[in-house]
Amino acid sequence: MSTWVKMARYNLQRRENYLVLPWILPFCFAIAVVTVGRQPGRNGAAYLASYFIYFFTLGLQAVGRSLPFALTLGASRRSFYSGTALLGAVLAMLSGLMLAALQSTERATGGWGMSMRFFRVPYLLDGPWYDTWLTSAVVLFTLFVYGIWYGIVHSRWGLLGTLTFIAAQTLVIVAGVLLASFEHWRFWSIGSPTFAGLTTVGLTGVIAALAGLLVVGGQATIRRATV
Amino acid sequence: MTPAISVSGLTRRYRGHAALDEVDIVIEPGTITGLLGRNGAGKTTLLRILAGQEFPSSGTARIHGAAPAEDEQVLRRLVFVREDQVYPDIKIGQALRAASWCCPNWDGEFASSLLEDFGLQTNKPVKRLSRGQRSALGIAIGLAARAEVTLFDEPYAGLDAVARQLFYDRLLADFAAFPRTVLLSTHLIDEAAALFENVVVIDRGRVVLNAAVDELRGAVTRVSGPCLAVDALAEGRAVWERRRLGSQASVVLAGPIAPGDREQARLSGVDLTPLSLQQIAVQAAAGAFGSAPRIGLESGFATERTCA
Repeated sequence: MSTWVKMARYNLQRRENYLVLPWILPFCFAIAVVTVGRQPGRNGAAYLASYFIYFFTLGLQAVGRSLPFALTLGASRRSFYSGTALLGAVLAMLSGLMLAALQSTERATGGWGMSMRFFRVPYLLDGPWYDTWLTSAVVLFTLFVYGIWYGIVHSRWGLLGTLTFIAAQTLVIVAGVLLASFEHWRFWSIGSPTFAGLTTVGLTGVIAALAGLLVVGGQATIRRATV
Repeated sequence: MTPAISVSGLTRRYRGHAALDEVDIVIEPGTITGLLGRNGAGKTTLLRILAGQEFPSSGTARIHGAAPAEDEQVLRRLVFVREDQVYPDIKIGQALRAASWCCPNWDGEFASSLLEDFGLQTNKPVKRLSRGQRSALGIAIGLAARAEVTLFDEPYAGLDAVARQLFYDRLLADFAAFPRTVLLSTHLIDEAAALFENVVVIDRGRVVLNAAVDELRGAVTRVSGPCLAVDALAEGRAVWERRRLGSQASVVLAGPIAPGDREQARLSGVDLTPLSLQQIAVQAAAGAFGSAPRIGLESGFATERTCA
């Protein structure tokens, strides 16, 4: 068994973190039904975000208390990271497949018999099942490794470092939003909701590239982490 | 033969404070070495660097000739049990299972017997364990891992005397059956003294004593009795410590006491008491040996290095 797989299994030992996953969707769906199910449009897709946000939390939790014991058992930081990211990738693939299946079911049942949109997110998750699988898996994995990076930063530099990390990203995001909203560049069009003219698959590619950057950043940060 | 542990010029600074300062140590394979010193002396920092959990500011630390940091070929040959070990939110059984995946020489039956000895149940969450029980879990992992290099940092914090004796007994028995290199940091020096073949005493980041226990045994003696008789016996010898109360005096003499001197002491009513390992470590930490990377007894007991 490679050390990556060992570390993935090691992370899975904290079962309660992963046992929450199957319960998020029915819980959020129930809330969507009672809140927007009777409203015009019946768009509850925003509630689906909680599932994605939980992936960020999973990544965040994967480092703090798990890294010290992993190092005690003789794993390297690099293997711990890779094994944890591998676990995130597998979970993202499985979750993406599940979301694609549920989206197809939602379509086939006319929005669960009440014309409700929950698994069909306009532009992002509204294409064929394989597009939905790909996009959701990539986004989930990206959020997972983003969470890992936060966990590493907190583990290495504490609260002050984390706040600095957040501040730096806020600056980047604000700059990005200013650029995107610059009139002449037309990154975002309200008439035709696309980002910089990208198709969903194109945007998925951009997010995948971002995930790659996050993995590189996380790997670079964890290499000098001490416990 | 390649040393199991070799440290050369190792320095670790934290914002100007030197936790380790030019440390040089060589530990041969198949030995149990005591790592002694006061709180904050640098023992844990040294062990963390050896385990690849911390990085040196300068110098090198090697396990079987290779640097441990991020080298899995080296890391899988060692296990490091810390006093303040942080565990994820898992149960004891899960911690042992993870250890069995990662430690190539893992002995599951031995781990189970250790848990039984310490009264631990596999289905109990680690976060609900008392301090002593956590220590027992660390000991079980450290021993059952049978790693070629086993690093223990105050492994029995919170354990009662019976459990500590159990640890010593099981360590010795398993060491005899499966020899390995053990570096054990402890404050309970006399209690663990029987385990050690060598001791390394660190004080304020520097090695102040590095010697075989056999060489130390009986090599430092407290001499107490009438002032004149004590002074006569101490004349021309290295004296580490001198106390005087009225007509009585007490000195600590370095170096073996010759049979003739013993007879002289007996006739003049002077008591000769060999210092225990703990007392020697205390003297070393107080600067009796001076500060040198490797102090043999001959140089350590030289008159000019004493603090008489």
